[in-house]
Amino acid sequence: MGKPVSCKLEDGSYCIDLRGWMCPYPKYMLEPIFQKLPAGGGKVTLLVDCPSASTDVPEAARKQGYTVKEVSQVNDGEWQVVIEY
Amino acid sequence: MSTITAMVRTIRETLYVPVFKRAWPIWAGVLAFAITNILMAAFARGLGVFPQMSMWGASILNAIGIDVEAPFTPYPVTPVHLDLHSMINFGIILGVLGSALIAREFKLRTDNWRGYAQGFLGGALMGIGTVMTPPCNIGGFGTAVMALSLSGFLMAVGLVPGAYLGAKLLQWQSNRAIDKIDFKDAPVQVDTGKYRSSRRPLLGWFVFLLIFVAVVIYSVYDRSNFAVLLLFGALFGIIFQRSRLCFAAGFRDIFAARDTKLLRWILVAEMVGMIGFSILKFNGFIASDHFVFPTGINSIAGGFIFGIGMVIAGGCGSGILWRSAEGYVRHWFAIIGGMLAAGSWVLLYGAKVGEGWLYGPKVFLPDVFGWPGALVVGSLILIVFYIILVLVEVKKKNG
Repeated sequence: MGKPVSCKLEDGSYCIDLRGWMCPYPKYMLEPIFQKLPAGGGKVTLLVDCPSASTDVPEAARKQGYTVKEVSQVNDGEWQVVIEY
Repeated sequence: MSTITAMVRTIRETLYVPVFKRAWPIWAGVLAFAITNILMAAFARGLGVFPQMSMWGASILNAIGIDVEAPFTPYPVTPVHLDLHSMINFGIILGVLGSALIAREFKLRTDNWRGYAQGFLGGALMGIGTVMTPPCNIGGFGTAVMALSLSGFLMAVGLVPGAYLGAKLLQWQSNRAIDKIDFKDAPVQVDTGKYRSSRRPLLGWFVFLLIFVAVVIYSVYDRSNFAVLLLFGALFGIIFQRSRLCFAAGFRDIFAARDTKLLRWILVAEMVGMIGFSILKFNGFIASDHFVFPTGINSIAGGFIFGIGMVIAGGCGSGILWRSAEGYVRHWFAIIGGMLAAGSWVLLYGAKVGEGWLYGPKVFLPDVFGWPGALVVGSLILIVFYIILVLVEVKKKNG
């Protein structure tokens, strides 16, 4: 439950490190994250370490009307989810 | 040679990868859960994990000089390696550990003190809920409903609002955490990480080998029933881990996220299990009061407290067991909280589970309605519950 860390990959492409937040926190955080992201659209990469988040975060994002570009495992027990907003 | 290579590749692609590498669809998980539960009941008993943990808690309290009896009469204080029921729990832990390592989903997930405190508190609430209801979510709701105990249906009445309250806390924490971050002035980072190869899957097979060794040892020492329950536990562990079947999540998201898919599938499992348990009980293969528990306000109140606890801890009784084996340190604290709270019940309440003013009578539906009537009533309750869940989901879509 440490502080989530935000970062910028390039203009219009942001990331947020949610490792250490068990499920369902990442899923519940999606809505406030989209409200916080700079207006104008772009891409956000979520780094998560809860296995369920690799399926329920993309599902929740799609339900909220966003496009999921990529879900991939980046390490043991860690995944990244790229969402277009 | 090429035929053998092709055969190995076929087995890998059609069996190994779908079972051990990819997540199972939830319908496969719930059906596997129901069928395994029926088979284990036919062999020895239905699935429940918390009474054993309560016994562990009482053992720890005894070891530190606090004299207390274990709260559940059929689960007296026993050395864990000689306790038949504990085999299921150890099996779950080892099965999940092996399965998570093979799938590369194991990670030691540390937390801060707030996370650990929340885990401990959630576990303690579940511990109290489990002795009041009794027992835990899977035993008290999942298996009890299959066993046509009225208490199981009543526990759900308490679980739904309890889990909702817990979810509200998690949502508040989520909003608060995100409120503090800023994307506009976030530091620039070029890479989010690279996928590396890992030897952990090998370690997973080593854990399965350990289970096999334990099975051989118990069999050699004339305790084959211990060996079989260990294997059943491991099978449940693999099912939970691969399908992410989590009873806490099923109840948590009904109103909090208006997502009822998981619980609706769990209800399908209940229906399948109810048929299986009824066949076993009707034919006298298992005792008719197996998994029939005291029924009354205790079922609802216990379910409510358990519901809050399981959501803030991050899993129900079996949920904290199997997540602890995926490396979640918070869930280790939840297990400790649950063991100690439930283990101290006789000190707090003054009597064992099922005794005294708190608990209602055991109500086995076929005793009240006869077999056909009980199956109709049990099915109808599940069907009505299912329809309510569909309504909740549809209302959300319609805004």
